[in-house]
Amino acid sequence: MTAFLTTLENSGLSTWLRESNSIWAYPTVLTLHTIGLALLVGANAALDLRVLGFGKAIAVSDLRPLFRWMWIGFWVNALSGAVLLAADATTKAAAPMFLIKLGLVAAGVAVVMLLDRQVYGPATTPGVITPLARSLAAASLFIWVVAIAAGRLMAYPGLFFGI
Amino acid sequence: MSHWIVTTLKATTVSHWMIQLTWMWPLCETLHFVGLALLIGVVGLLDLRLLGFVRRVPVAAVHGLIPWGIAGFVINLVTGALFFIGAPDQYLTNVAWWYKIGFLVVAGLNVLYFETTQAGRAMAIGAGEDTPRTLKVIGAVSIASWFMVLYWGRMLPFIGTAF
Repeated sequence: MTAFLTTLENSGLSTWLRESNSIWAYPTVLTLHTIGLALLVGANAALDLRVLGFGKAIAVSDLRPLFRWMWIGFWVNALSGAVLLAADATTKAAAPMFLIKLGLVAAGVAVVMLLDRQVYGPATTPGVITPLARSLAAASLFIWVVAIAAGRLMAYPGLFFGI
Repeated sequence: MSHWIVTTLKATTVSHWMIQLTWMWPLCETLHFVGLALLIGVVGLLDLRLLGFVRRVPVAAVHGLIPWGIAGFVINLVTGALFFIGAPDQYLTNVAWWYKIGFLVVAGLNVLYFETTQAGRAMAIGAGEDTPRTLKVIGAVSIASWFMVLYWGRMLPFIGTAF
């Protein structure tokens, strides 16, 4: 595993990303990661808020296109995240905060997929929001806030109770 | 003038907190990212509708979520002010920060123009109706300027030397 991470870190792309002073290297990939966050979490939050009863004039059924933006944001971040990870593979992949963040992102995606089924699935009644859907929406907002916190804390190793 | 601003702000208790309490900066960064996602998620949805997408939703209905976009903006205004009070010199001398403020002003004037002269007309646009060109331009300017605010914010540590 360590050998693999070292190979990854020493690859041409990783080295360029770390060492290039070009604005198109690290800064641009990091910006893409922030834009992906805004699309995924932003679109997801808008859906969550509606499910929780805000903006009731919007028909929930009309918000399904938001999933397209969530998936665009997700893939932008999966790719930019993979590149950022490769650049510092040996330190980042071993950092507990990275694994925590990865787990939170997986949980966030799983929750919104469950929410999709609860709100738009074949067994649902259009316009009816179940208590489970509401709980999933609340959990979704909470998980994304914590995931963002974990992502930020990756830049401060050791700060959060030594993690 | 700018020297006076820097020394005055740096002498404040809040400024000391921002620098000396090690968790303050990452906490504010986390909130800044949460605010960013809320703002782009909610305002971006209204912008898309103004551009003529998600046409099934009446403009007024999308506008109902706007308080959450404003909440995101306020979170970012407060945390942004805290960053500035904490380390004013690193922003005032940073060209990326001035670009960021410039695009904030563009986004702000665009909102002001929309709310004072176009909102009434926009709110009357119902389900399935296309939007007039003025509203499409407002939506496009809004999306573009908010993403530029995000971009120049993300560039702060790379073009200048802000942390």
